[in-house]
Amino acid sequence: MMRVLSTIATVAALTVLFGFTAQTAHAQSTSLTTEQIDNIRSNCTSIKSTLNQLHASDALLRVNRGQVYESMASKLMDSFNSRLGNNRLDAKATSAVTSSYRTALDSFRNDYKAYEEKLSSAIRINCLNEPESFYNTIEQARENRAKVHDDVMKLHRYIDDYRSAVSDFLLNYERISE
Amino acid sequence: MAELIDLQPDEDMTFWDKHRLSLLLILTVLIALILTVVSMIAYNVSGTAQLDLSRPSVSSVSNKVDKTDNITEYSSFGSISKDSIDEFTKLYDAQATKAKAVDAFNGDPLNPEVLEFSTATSE
Repeated sequence: MMRVLSTIATVAALTVLFGFTAQTAHAQSTSLTTEQIDNIRSNCTSIKSTLNQLHASDALLRVNRGQVYESMASKLMDSFNSRLGNNRLDAKATSAVTSSYRTALDSFRNDYKAYEEKLSSAIRINCLNEPESFYNTIEQARENRAKVHDDVMKLHRYIDDYRSAVSDFLLNYERISE
Repeated sequence: MAELIDLQPDEDMTFWDKHRLSLLLILTVLIALILTVVSMIAYNVSGTAQLDLSRPSVSSVSNKVDKTDNITEYSSFGSISKDSIDEFTKLYDAQATKAKAVDAFNGDPLNPEVLEFSTATSE
């Protein structure tokens, strides 16, 4: 009994240790060479200016694109699904795509929020005094921005999927109506 | 007339009686502060802050927001026929083309090379 308990304790301890080591490795920041630090310091003003411009243009993009994506769901997809439902027709396929679309839209909102927060925090960092922290935050913002782009691609795919679902429905409807 | 007013002598008044107005003001300010903090937390946590183009950092683009919502809403009521489905697909295709016209957030503007500082080596 004691041996079983000690084995369980050892496995648990190793698991915790492994998890901690893995987390530490993941959280490890990137180190910069002296030359790279000098580059950041010398270009500090121009980098900050570029980041500010990107921050503003992406905010506008988020608002305009968000409106278009939201309208697709609320004014077209939901309405068509409801109409099918009101006529007691099978709206499972179109509703399933709408649900996936809504999930992708939520990811788009959340990922953009994470990206914007990271970019704002990079803009707030003093790149003359903290070039490494500045660099790492920009890298994280870069990863977050790539996620936002992936979400946009997903939304575009679901827009196509919904159109295909409507075409399939129309085919079935015509077949039944004949 | 003065006899009708029940005036309480100062020495009989408790601490709370003497400072009622001050306490009311302090309480009001405290409640206002708490509500402001709660509102600010909700503003930041909900993602509303990211949509607020009146913030000083993004106010330069606030006049470029597309305020014309040209999407015609498809009615959720009515019968279903080939014509009504065709009407929907026409609306949908037009909107889908607009939605997919912009490959938003593409490119890599935060690439160190684009930002004019060379890539770093990972430890």
